[in-house]
Amino acid sequence: MGSAALILLLICGVAFASGGMLLSWGIAKSSKNKVKDEPYECGIPTTGTSWIQFNVGYYLFALIFLIFDVELVFMYPWAVAVKKIGIGGLIEIIVFMFILFMGLLYAWRKGALKWM
Amino acid sequence: MNFDAFILMKSEMSLTLIIFFLLILKVWDGIKDNTALLHVVNFLLLINLITGFFGNTDGSLFSGMFHTNNTIYLEKNILKLGMFIISLQSFDWLKNHKHLLEFYILMLCTLLGMDFMISSNNFLMFFLGLELSSIPLAALANFDLEKRKSSESALKMILSSAFASAIMLFGISILYGVTGTLDFTEMAPLLTTSQLSILAFLFVFAGFAFKLSSVPFHLWTADVYEGAPVSVTSYLSVISKGSIVFIFITILFQLFKSYDTIWVNVLNISLLLSITIGNLFAMRQENIKRFLAFSSIAQMGYILLALTNGTQTGESAAIFFLLVYTFSNLGAFGVVALLSAETGKETISDMKGFYVNNKFASWVMAICLFSLAGIPPTAGFFAKMFLVTAGAEKGNYTVISIAVLNMVVSLYYYLRIIKAIFIDKPDTPLAKLNGSMMMKISFVICISGAIIMGFASNLFEYINTITGK
Repeated sequence: MGSAALILLLICGVAFASGGMLLSWGIAKSSKNKVKDEPYECGIPTTGTSWIQFNVGYYLFALIFLIFDVELVFMYPWAVAVKKIGIGGLIEIIVFMFILFMGLLYAWRKGALKWM
Repeated sequence: MNFDAFILMKSEMSLTLIIFFLLILKVWDGIKDNTALLHVVNFLLLINLITGFFGNTDGSLFSGMFHTNNTIYLEKNILKLGMFIISLQSFDWLKNHKHLLEFYILMLCTLLGMDFMISSNNFLMFFLGLELSSIPLAALANFDLEKRKSSESALKMILSSAFASAIMLFGISILYGVTGTLDFTEMAPLLTTSQLSILAFLFVFAGFAFKLSSVPFHLWTADVYEGAPVSVTSYLSVISKGSIVFIFITILFQLFKSYDTIWVNVLNISLLLSITIGNLFAMRQENIKRFLAFSSIAQMGYILLALTNGTQTGESAAIFFLLVYTFSNLGAFGVVALLSAETGKETISDMKGFYVNNKFASWVMAICLFSLAGIPPTAGFFAKMFLVTAGAEKGNYTVISIAVLNMVVSLYYYLRIIKAIFIDKPDTPLAKLNGSMMMKISFVICISGAIIMGFASNLFEYINTITGK
């Protein structure tokens, strides 16, 4: 241990980040064709430049979506253990959902769910 | 079900309930009258403050993640008291504000985060509380929605605070890697003086120093304080810093106890720089909020001076100082809040001849600034004296003498404001400012606190006994 560990940590950190990039750059075959420049998974080619300002409404929707996404992730482990933890767990999850529901109501009230 | 949690976490529970109540009020949108809403909120905060004094039992929860004792209850009560005073002082500013309830919801969320942070006995809980207390603050700094400076301050705050949190998190992750635990009590005996864990300590220290805005991590302070609304600035300088000091004491004195020879040196350098640079820069500020920002940097330096003591004496001196600091700094900020809400002006030259038409507010400002400077009849003198004697126990006389010399320097700039208020006579002095009743109540609380605390020796004795346990 001692300073050697620090230097090792530094080297590992740099190597881990740069190593992956270098490796993929070195190993991977690169081919350029027209199909590759097309937008991935979205199908339609863009018209005009894509460097435009997006409406802030997109972010609001994304944020609200994210909150409920995370809510569901939290509910999975609860659902697995629900029989074991009993009525206390049920009350807790109701409180948890109520908290998030209030947030949704607030966003609704503020008109965040209205499109433009 | 086990109901211990509800009793031990009563301050968190009551805050959560208030936040919910306000959220429901907001969603329901039934009360359109801002003044009525403000009275409701102030009443709830008063109840919240009063409940903090009853039914305090020691204990720990969630397998040691959350713990509480009399010292922690006292610390939480200091924060609640400060929150209540700030709420009274925001009355004039908020009574015409569109987003009044959001202001309180965000503010109480940060207070909830601070409560969890102070009670934490585990880095996970600590970090969660720290983030909950710092992210909404950036939104609050942007609360003067139409002012550019307010947005600038919010952006500066969120970027630099995210950077500081990242550094601290890196430190925490190294500590976890070295010891294999996140629990403070389990981690303390496992810490060795290997360079890796000392580096981790320095990272954690840097994160704290950023939040305390002690030099050399102070650069965000003045800009953020200047741009944010006055109530948020006072919240940042008193409540936010106070909560960080409280948990900093726990982490230094309990977790990093074996490193005391190291952190005393780090603290000495940081505190000397903080006091000197804070004082030198405070002298040439024209904006009162910037001035109070640098003055608070210097005050934090004095708190760090008490912490170099490393024992319970330092802890009780720091807690007592923060209690006095809450009263005196909030009093000074209250006058600025009054001036800013009524006239929109915030510079020292705007305060020239303030005494002619505003006798009461001028005396509040004078008493609070004297208390901040540490002049005898006020509580600030005794609080500073305890800090310096706590620091002197270690025999660091060079550091002590530089710090005490700086106190004399600090008198100059505190008196500069008092001169502007009382002695300077402009042709058209400021008109009478009609502060609300709430503002006046907050002034009375602040000056009585700033004077009485100095004579209430029982209080310091009480703090001394509860920290000794």
